[in-house]
Amino acid sequence: MKPAPAIEINDLSVRFDGKTVIDTFSMCIEPGEKVIITGKSGSGKSTILRSILGFIIPYKGAIRIENELLTGKSVWKLRTCMAYVAQEPELGTGLAGDILSRPFSYRANLHLKGSFDNVPELMERLLLPNEILNKDIAALSGGEKQRIAIICAILLDRGIILLDEASSALDKAATLAILELLDSKKMLTVLSVSHDDKWLSFSDRIIELRGGSTGI
Amino acid sequence: MIMNITDISPWNLAAGYILFTIPLSIILWLHVPMFTQTIVSILRMTVQLLFVGFYLQVIFRLNNPWLNSAWLLVMIGVADISIIRGCGLKMMKFVLPLFVALIVGTSLPLLSFIGPVLKLPNLLEAQYVIPIGGMILGNCLRADIIGINNFYVSIRKAEKSYLNSLAQGARLREALRPFTGDAFQAALMPTVATMATIGLVALPGMMTGVILGGANPVTAIKYQIAIMIAIFSGTSITVFMAILLTVKNNFNAYGLLDHGIFKK
Repeated sequence: MKPAPAIEINDLSVRFDGKTVIDTFSMCIEPGEKVIITGKSGSGKSTILRSILGFIIPYKGAIRIENELLTGKSVWKLRTCMAYVAQEPELGTGLAGDILSRPFSYRANLHLKGSFDNVPELMERLLLPNEILNKDIAALSGGEKQRIAIICAILLDRGIILLDEASSALDKAATLAILELLDSKKMLTVLSVSHDDKWLSFSDRIIELRGGSTGI
Repeated sequence: MIMNITDISPWNLAAGYILFTIPLSIILWLHVPMFTQTIVSILRMTVQLLFVGFYLQVIFRLNNPWLNSAWLLVMIGVADISIIRGCGLKMMKFVLPLFVALIVGTSLPLLSFIGPVLKLPNLLEAQYVIPIGGMILGNCLRADIIGINNFYVSIRKAEKSYLNSLAQGARLREALRPFTGDAFQAALMPTVATMATIGLVALPGMMTGVILGGANPVTAIKYQIAIMIAIFSGTSITVFMAILLTVKNNFNAYGLLDHGIFKK
């Protein structure tokens, strides 16, 4: 039997202050697929990711994660199936090491505490020195913050990862290191917003948004 | 050592108003745009206190538990509205939960003060319940404005960080915990600082009142310690409960903050 899609969106419409940002958008992403969303600024790329996370309530349409409809009730469980990295991650305040360990104090992630042992390996793979963990997160560069956010997302061991221009502040070597890491996780479903050619060549499929309307 | 407090005649009190000419002259001389506001405040202070003075005389004479409780509820209601206005928040979603928080946060330490500490047979004795309730409530008002304002404004400012916690699997309570902690700390800090310097920097109002009333300074100190305990517990309870009870109305099922609660 064919497994259920990782993410399924049907006729999604999003409006802000009466203006339609997304108009009847649909897509289906299979488990393990690596998909990139591209499109002009303001075409609604980030809005799609934020809708999947339940941070934007659609005007119309339905979102299903692993075959479960996203609602105000199911969103709390469905968020634990996904990890998210924003373009300019705001991870809170404190030392980078504490920021990495914070999500593991949440009840939904208590069973994942063991994965914290992978931090040194992931730091090395993403070309980050270990000393960074003892630095205040506010003192890190944009690229360092993005990599800390990606490490955090990987440690959470979710089936789906949503990335919003997650390497926009990184150089070529660091971007390739991230792509290599994501590529090594065959079962991981990746939905990424990016304009970067390196991401485009990494993907299984590209979805292009044209002015907020359906454009697959 | 029992002394009678010297009363102030209306004429002498009126003469005391002459002192206001000094700050008012400085305001005029510096062209500070608060002359009218100051005059209005002086008038309001006079009228409000005269009204309360006459009203309390009646209440103290009748000393009816129901009337005393009703007056306390009126004080809580006024504090409730003042806090919401002070926070720049819309009235509808806060008025009821905050009222409940203020009732619990005021009555619990108040009744502990009058019951187990003072050992008075009548828990609703006007002479005690109204001034002590007012002191607890006055401090709750200041602490709640700081606490509630800090809580909601911080979440609005750090919304990306808050949403990041939700994306990482935090339940609403878990994502709000750091904001609740910060708001609680900000609200209680002034009282903690007051407790640390009390008696060194200034003689507090309660103690001064008891001494002026003719009591022994040691008795005055005991009253002051008891009122500080009541104030600190009262403010802690109201701030914590106010946050806890208002959250339900101001976050939707997805855990998103309703931005419509802010006036601006």
